[in-house]
Amino acid sequence: MPPLELLLQQTLNGVMLGVMYALIAVGFTLFFGVLDVIHFSHGDIFMLGAFVGLSTLLGLAVVGLRTPLLALPPAFAVAVLVTGLVGVGAERVCVKPLARSSPLMTLLATLSLGLVLRESVLIFYPRGADPKPFPQLLPAGGFEVGGVAVRYENLTILAIGFAAMIGVDLVIRRTRMGAAIRAVAQDPEAAQMMGVNLDRTVDATFFLGSGLAAVAGMLSGFYYGEIHFIMGITGGVIGFSAAAIGGLGNVYGAIVGGLLFGVLQTTAAALIPRGSEFRDVVAFAVVMLFLIFKPSGILGEKSVERV
Amino acid sequence: MLELREVSTRYGPITVLRSVSLAVGAGQLACLLGPNGAGKTTLIRTILGIVRPVSGSIWLDGARIDRLRPHQIVARGVAVVPEGRRLFPKMTVEENLRMGAFIEWAPADFAARRDHVFSLFPRLAERRRQSAATMSGGEQAMLAMGRALMSRPRLLLLDEPSLGLAPVLVEQLFAMVQAINQSGTTVFLVEQNARKTLEIAHHGFLLQKGEVVGAGSAESLRRSELVRHAYLRT
Repeated sequence: MPPLELLLQQTLNGVMLGVMYALIAVGFTLFFGVLDVIHFSHGDIFMLGAFVGLSTLLGLAVVGLRTPLLALPPAFAVAVLVTGLVGVGAERVCVKPLARSSPLMTLLATLSLGLVLRESVLIFYPRGADPKPFPQLLPAGGFEVGGVAVRYENLTILAIGFAAMIGVDLVIRRTRMGAAIRAVAQDPEAAQMMGVNLDRTVDATFFLGSGLAAVAGMLSGFYYGEIHFIMGITGGVIGFSAAAIGGLGNVYGAIVGGLLFGVLQTTAAALIPRGSEFRDVVAFAVVMLFLIFKPSGILGEKSVERV
Repeated sequence: MLELREVSTRYGPITVLRSVSLAVGAGQLACLLGPNGAGKTTLIRTILGIVRPVSGSIWLDGARIDRLRPHQIVARGVAVVPEGRRLFPKMTVEENLRMGAFIEWAPADFAARRDHVFSLFPRLAERRRQSAATMSGGEQAMLAMGRALMSRPRLLLLDEPSLGLAPVLVEQLFAMVQAINQSGTTVFLVEQNARKTLEIAHHGFLLQKGEVVGAGSAESLRRSELVRHAYLRT
């Protein structure tokens, strides 16, 4: 058995990874809830968010805005806004027009769009094939509690991630647009009969989900210190898995699923010999067990079979 | 107030409504009678803009609405108790009522409107924090009605509101529809229960296989051979 401190440490690390996964997963689950589709380019939307954020940070640095307080708020705002709008565009081009055709068509269209996004970054971003170092703007240093190292940078990532999740929860539970999103997820036709504008609600859902993925992209950049144009593939698969184990269509399920996936990865690394090489194997094995024995997920009602 | 002029609606290759014309005057309680599959629900969906007619026109207060989208039509003062109630199952009673007022979202008199609905259906007040899915059929019918009233509609469409209700509840429901109409709301009631419907309606239309095959005052419909034969079984 590894010492308790190691387990605690890995759990903390897992929660931090999990926050990023959860932010991606919430998008998957929102899109599925509202349109009954899996938006397979969502992982690349996450990657795009990181690149938009990086570009904004570099641009801000050119005009002299280098301090975290001056650079971070506008960088997050631009990343969320641009990525959110790209998400809405993706929905209008690849998802909504195909809503009435076979789910296979949506799968193909969104997979292809993901490829387009990836290749675009590769080709059009200067030296797009290389990993891009991400400016380290989060506070450095840290402290130790009971043998567990806590870095300020990680606490900041956790704080931003949870703030984003609480923000989305408030939007969904407390605002008119949130009510429209929930109503459409439960019964689109009845929602329209209450006066809900269906198209605008779907747009808002994709803006919200894609904006969250952008936050996740930037947090990922701060956490790993670099971003790469293929990061959306793993990010997408993990985000989708997290949404599935949480229960597709359920926002809280996506958050639980994301955190669970992160903790599974890091504790597997601690508990199993040579575990860090196998962490994804262990985590995805658990996902498969879920799909076999509890296909509706931890908190879900809609079955994944509907996809 | 509401007028359909030669409206035809199709689902793919199947024509469901054939040149339907009918009119409901302001303040009236009009009904549409017809057997299953006659196109009654399609007619409601067409009025609401959920499906678009392939020909003909629909007018509300003298303005053409058949090219508008559902939320725009609802915003003009139309509310519906849809077939099968269509409540939001994961929302509470109170949240469902809030959805009924979605067009204005948080009107200043929201509490007053909600309390008015609670006074009509005291059971809903007891269950306000309960999710709609866990309620009995009768309670769901009340909630669907209350939800439709939350927008203070000028025109209320009711699609088989009595379906699946116990006779005593059906009695109450028809009394309530009549009361709503008498308080000034125009009502268009789609029903299979011809006997009860013709007791409260001013006039009505008969729909068969997507066509209007009869129209007239409730009194004349009650006496018509067609209605007696097809619906009243006398």
